[in-house]
Amino acid sequence: MSQTSFSPDLTAAVTTVPFQRRTPWWVWAIGAAVVLLLVVAPLVMDIPTNQMLARVGVFAVAVLGLNVIMGYTGQVSLGQIFFLGFGAYVTAYGVQQEWPILLTFVLAIVLPGVAGLIVAFAAARLGGLAIAMVTIALPIIGVPLAKRLSDLTGGSQGISARFSDAPEWSGLADDQWQYYLVLLIAAITFVLVYNLTRGKFGRALAIVRENENVAKAMGISPYRYKVMAFTIAAMIGGVSGFLYMVVVQYTSPETLAFHHSINLLASMVVGGAGSIAGSILGGFYYVFVPNLTNEIAPTLTALIQGIILLVVLFVLPGGLASIPHRIRRMLRSRRADTDSSPSHSK
Amino acid sequence: MGEFIQLVVDGLAMGSVYAALGLAIVLVNQSTGLINFAQGGMAVLSAYLTYAFAGMGLPLILAIVASVIVSFALGALIERFVMRRFEGGDPDTAVVATVGMLTLITGVCGWIWSYNNLHLASLFPAASFGLLGAAVSWRSLGTFLVILVIMLGLQALFRYTKLGLALRAVADNPASSALSGLPVGRLLMVGWGLAAGLGAVAGALVAPRLTLTPGMMDTVLVYALAAVILGGMMSPLGVVVAAWAIGVLENLAAVYVPWIGHDLKIAVPFVLLFIVLLLRPQGLFGRKTVVRV
Repeated sequence: MSQTSFSPDLTAAVTTVPFQRRTPWWVWAIGAAVVLLLVVAPLVMDIPTNQMLARVGVFAVAVLGLNVIMGYTGQVSLGQIFFLGFGAYVTAYGVQQEWPILLTFVLAIVLPGVAGLIVAFAAARLGGLAIAMVTIALPIIGVPLAKRLSDLTGGSQGISARFSDAPEWSGLADDQWQYYLVLLIAAITFVLVYNLTRGKFGRALAIVRENENVAKAMGISPYRYKVMAFTIAAMIGGVSGFLYMVVVQYTSPETLAFHHSINLLASMVVGGAGSIAGSILGGFYYVFVPNLTNEIAPTLTALIQGIILLVVLFVLPGGLASIPHRIRRMLRSRRADTDSSPSHSK
Repeated sequence: MGEFIQLVVDGLAMGSVYAALGLAIVLVNQSTGLINFAQGGMAVLSAYLTYAFAGMGLPLILAIVASVIVSFALGALIERFVMRRFEGGDPDTAVVATVGMLTLITGVCGWIWSYNNLHLASLFPAASFGLLGAAVSWRSLGTFLVILVIMLGLQALFRYTKLGLALRAVADNPASSALSGLPVGRLLMVGWGLAAGLGAVAGALVAPRLTLTPGMMDTVLVYALAAVILGGMMSPLGVVVAAWAIGVLENLAAVYVPWIGHDLKIAVPFVLLFIVLLLRPQGLFGRKTVVRV
């Protein structure tokens, strides 16, 4: 299997920048329709559906953060859930201390970012898979740490914080207000990451991912870019932690348990590594598939999810987001076949 | 003083279990360049197999031997039918595949044997004996000695046998080994099988202490990975020494540093790791590798 097949879209975007085709009008039309649908949906749906969709938004952001370090930079991280949990705890603590909500939001991003920076400083020094080996410790240390710091975290009981009730003037129900809050913050995060990965920074990450020696030869320090990408991933984790508190309003050491981290990783791979659309699909996968497998048989959940992950890696390494690309390539090769066969017969 | 010796011996015993899993990880890493995150999960499956064989009425020692043999076969099959697809490709994909294997194996264990705690009998008596005023348990000493013997056996295998030489050749350069007529695929299967067998021993030794659950080895895996990094990835001796150091240090820290205590002792190897990585990125025993483009 070639290096590029894991995320064909990424390299395609990087190598074809000068020859960008004009986006056809129907892409814009579909985009506008989706936005309209997302905005109108909560007004007509029932409460559980709204909450479910808001949760999808929360975990789409979490998967997006994982994508920055893993999909775009090619460094496996098994600790992304730690940053979500950290952000959630900071938010809960800030709300309890009655800090201004904006300050709490900023801290919920900055503190996980600092933690990520410190971890990356050490982990990125070893090449290869060391980041994966070090980050696996984050949730495993995080859980007892959260229990121990019970003055800040409420110990095993957890900590709850209500701050996302709909204000009077909006005329919205609580679930609708929360949905819009998540939609807004998630949309901003997605646009920021989209721009980040399409620019100079994104191209640097892509070359670090493809070949560190080539990156070095071009004057791009793999170490520096890995540290930066990891820090950004941690900050996005913090954002998703804040959003988690918006929707769930409660966090406990269980929030950052190891198996959630594995689920995030699985969601990212199934959705599509190194892909914006893949992150959104990953959010859906994270929220809906465990529910589904739980309904089939609770004891089979881990078994089924392991099988899904392996099957996706075998047959669709680019994840769900690569299906359109696959179809296009299949059509093109078929067209090439029909074009070339008459010329052969001449 | 008595408490101190007891803590050191217990630490060496736990460290030996980390060392066994760490050695299994190094074995796979040397032959395929992968880190197998499913190694812990495979060891749990082996421990459940031991439990099942013992349940059929086999004496414990035979149950462990049977489990090691079955685990060897399973490890080889996993290499052939799952991991072979990802070798030589993007290492990230391969690592994610091992994470998928971990989920799958944990799921299989939970499905067959439930997520409740099961009790596996220990190979060694729970009694202890006096040593310089300390009560040292046979269990700890036994665990330590078994791993020591296995380690020496592995060392001998790699040093003095033709199989060991072939395994080292494949690890060093698969392409050249294939050209000189070595069955590379089959040797990779043997490598994975050996690693799984080693994991089976580790699982059987640690299960009585932790009680048998599908997630039993998650923490042990984390310790083993820390030992592998500290020991410098490539050096089996380094891994074992690092694992022992971790086992002893975390035990001492848990008792003598009140703030750490037993719940946070898992942070000890990582603080250690952190300092080592900043000062000596190639690990305590590793050598700097030079990459040619």
